[in-house]
Amino acid sequence: MTAVAGAPQTPQQEAKTVQLNLIQAVNLALREEMRSDERVLIFGEDVGARGGVFLATDGLQAEFGAQRVFDTPLSEASIVGAAVGMAVRGLRPVAEIQFADYMYPGIDQIFSQAAKIRYRSGGQFTAPLVIRTPSGGGVRGGHHHSQSPEAYYTHTPGLKVVMPSTPFDAKGLLKASIRLDDPVIFFEPKRLYRAFKEEVPEDDYTVPLGKAALRREGHDLSIIGYGGVMPDAIKAAAALEKEGISVEVIDLRSLIPWDKEAVLESAAKTGRVLLVSEAPRTANFMGEVAYVVQEELFDQLQAPVMQVAGFDTPYPYALDKTYLPGVNRMLRAAARLLEY
Amino acid sequence: MFKPFTDQPIVRIGEDGKKIGRWSLDLEAAQLLRLWRDMVRARIFDEKLVTLLRQGKTSFYAQSSGMEATQVGIAHGIRAGYDWVWPYYRDQGLALAAGFPLKDLVAQSLGTNDDLCKGRQMPHHFGSAEHRFVSISSSIANQVAPATGTAMAQKYLGSDEITVCTFGDGATSEGDWHAGLNMAGVAKAPVLFVCENNQWAISAGIATQTASQGIAIKAKAYGMPGYFVDGQDVLAVREVIREVAERVRSGEGPALVECLTYRIGTHSSADDDSRYRSREEVELWRGRDPIRRFERFLEAEGLLPDAETLSGIRAEINAEIDGVLAEAENNGYPTWDSMFDDVYADLPPHLEEQREFLRREQEAL
Repeated sequence: MTAVAGAPQTPQQEAKTVQLNLIQAVNLALREEMRSDERVLIFGEDVGARGGVFLATDGLQAEFGAQRVFDTPLSEASIVGAAVGMAVRGLRPVAEIQFADYMYPGIDQIFSQAAKIRYRSGGQFTAPLVIRTPSGGGVRGGHHHSQSPEAYYTHTPGLKVVMPSTPFDAKGLLKASIRLDDPVIFFEPKRLYRAFKEEVPEDDYTVPLGKAALRREGHDLSIIGYGGVMPDAIKAAAALEKEGISVEVIDLRSLIPWDKEAVLESAAKTGRVLLVSEAPRTANFMGEVAYVVQEELFDQLQAPVMQVAGFDTPYPYALDKTYLPGVNRMLRAAARLLEY
Repeated sequence: MFKPFTDQPIVRIGEDGKKIGRWSLDLEAAQLLRLWRDMVRARIFDEKLVTLLRQGKTSFYAQSSGMEATQVGIAHGIRAGYDWVWPYYRDQGLALAAGFPLKDLVAQSLGTNDDLCKGRQMPHHFGSAEHRFVSISSSIANQVAPATGTAMAQKYLGSDEITVCTFGDGATSEGDWHAGLNMAGVAKAPVLFVCENNQWAISAGIATQTASQGIAIKAKAYGMPGYFVDGQDVLAVREVIREVAERVRSGEGPALVECLTYRIGTHSSADDDSRYRSREEVELWRGRDPIRRFERFLEAEGLLPDAETLSGIRAEINAEIDGVLAEAENNGYPTWDSMFDDVYADLPPHLEEQREFLRREQEAL
C-alpha cells in the first residue's frame, strides 16, 4: 500500500512528514484543528479520558481540557442533537459516534435537524458540524460493528458524506470537513485504522471534498471505489497488470459531493468500469455512479458497468471475509468486463 | 422562591380574578396592560389566520387559542430577543409577545418572497435568527437535544444568555425528549425546558402520553427541578419562568416548567376534534379563558381600563394584522431558482446541474 501513498493529486509535500496510520492521522487532524480554532469541541461516548475506543481522541482531553473534549451520556440522539445546537450557536462541534451501526437513535437529529436547518430557515441558521464514525467490516466485529450505512446519508440533501482510505487523506479530509460550513458525516473504515502507515505532513493541509484521487493510471479498465475496499482494489489492479492489463484505480474519497468528472474521464478512457464497495448491493451509492456513467457515456462503453459490493444480508459475523468483496471477487468481475 | 414538584399547580390568581395566597404585585399598570394586550393580540392573530385558511390563502395553521397565558407568560419571563428559543410549532403567542415581527410570521405562513425561511417549510413553521428564535421543525421533540447543545455552547462561550426550549405534552413521550433532558442535566446546561401541556397531542390525551403524575415530576429523574404551574394564569407563568430563568442563568443548571393549559381549537387546520373529545370538555375550558381571568383580576385590582380603551386596543391590533396581511399577499413568491439555495453553503456540482436542468425546463414553458 505504501506504493500509493500520497495521491498524485495531493499537493507537494515540502514540510516535515511523519509515518502515521489512519487513526493517528485522524488524531493529528483533530489536534491541529483544536489548536487553531477554539470553536472546535470534541465529544461522544468514551472520547475523554479513554481517548475513544479506537484511540482517535487519545491525549486530546489532556491537552485541551474537559471543557473542549468530553464524554457524553450514552445517547446518540443527544450527541447529534447537541452538536446541532452548538453549531447553530457558533461552535464547530466534532461528535464521535462510536460505531456507524449505532447512529440510528441519532438519525432523526441528522436528517431533520443537521441536514435541514440551513434550508428550512432560508440560510438563517446553519449547522457546521462533523460526525466521525468508524464503519465497515473486516475486523470480525459482527453484525452491529461492521455495517456500511453510507448510502442512507447520501440520500439526504444537506449532508456531505466522506470516507477516506489513506492516512494522508484522513487528515486532509477531516480538517477540510471541520472547516466546512455544512454538516459532514465522516466515515472511517475501521479495518484500515491500523492496516498501514504512510508519510503524513505534520503541517497544515486540507484535501477538498468532491475530488477523487487517482491511485493508479491505466487504459484498459477503471476500478472505482472508496473506503475499506481500496487496498484490495489496488491489489487487484496490480494482479491484472501482471497479466498485461492496464488498470486505472480511482478513490472517490467523498460521496457527497462526488467527483463525477474524474469518473467520467476515466470511464471514457478505458470504456470499462468496475465499481467496488462493501455496502449492501441494493441502493448502494455506486448504483448512482453506474447510472451517471451509462447516462453520459452509453456509446463509449465497451461493456456494461459492473459492480462488486457487499450482499443484501445483515452483516454476518462468522462469514466476515466471505462477505467482503476481496481481490478475487474483483478479479472475476474484471475478467467478465474484459471478456465482454 | 417557588417550590418544585408540587401536587397542585402554582397559581397567583383564581378563576374569579382574586389573588390566591399572599403576594405583592411587582408590575406597574402599563406592564399589566401589556400582558393583556399580548394575549389579546395572540387571540386575534389566531382568528385572522383561521379566516385566512378558510379563504384558501394558506394551507396550514395550528391554533393556540386558550394557551395565551402560558405563551405570553413565557415571553415575559425571559430576556426576549436575547435568550435563544427553540420553540415548537404552536408558539405564535410566545413569538409575538417576544417581539417576533408580525410581518415575518405572516410572510412565513404565506410562503411569500418576504419569508425569512424562503418558503421552504409548511406554513406556520417560522424562525428568525435576528430574534434568536430557531426555525421550527415538525418532528416532535426534535428541538430538545439541540436546545441543550445551544445552552452548552452558551456556557462554553461564557455568555449569560440562556436557551428556552418549548414543547407540548406529546413531545415528552419521544426518546429525544428524554435524551435531551438527560444530557442537559449531566452538562448543567443553562436551558429552561417548558412544557406547554395543553392535554392533547392531536387526538391522544395526556393519559396516552404518560402514566406519571404530570410532566414536571419527570425532571427529578434528570437531576433538575420541575415546576407545575397553572398555565391559564399569566402572572403565575411569568413569575415562575422569570425566577427559574434567572436561576438557570446564574449557572445552577437546567430546569423544567410544566404549564397546564388547554387548546380550545383543533390540533391543526386538518383536524376534527369532535372525533376524540367531548364538547363539554371544550366548553369547560373555554370557560377557563386565560384572558377573561386576567381581566377579572385587573378589574378586582381596579386596574382594568374602561371598555372604550380596551376596544380601542383591539381595534388597533385588528388594523395592524389586517394591514400586514393585506401587504403580505402582494409580495410575490420565491422564484424557481431559489429552490437550490441553502441546501449547502455553496452549490455543489450535482445541484448546479439540476438547477441548470430546471432552468431549461422553465424557459421552455
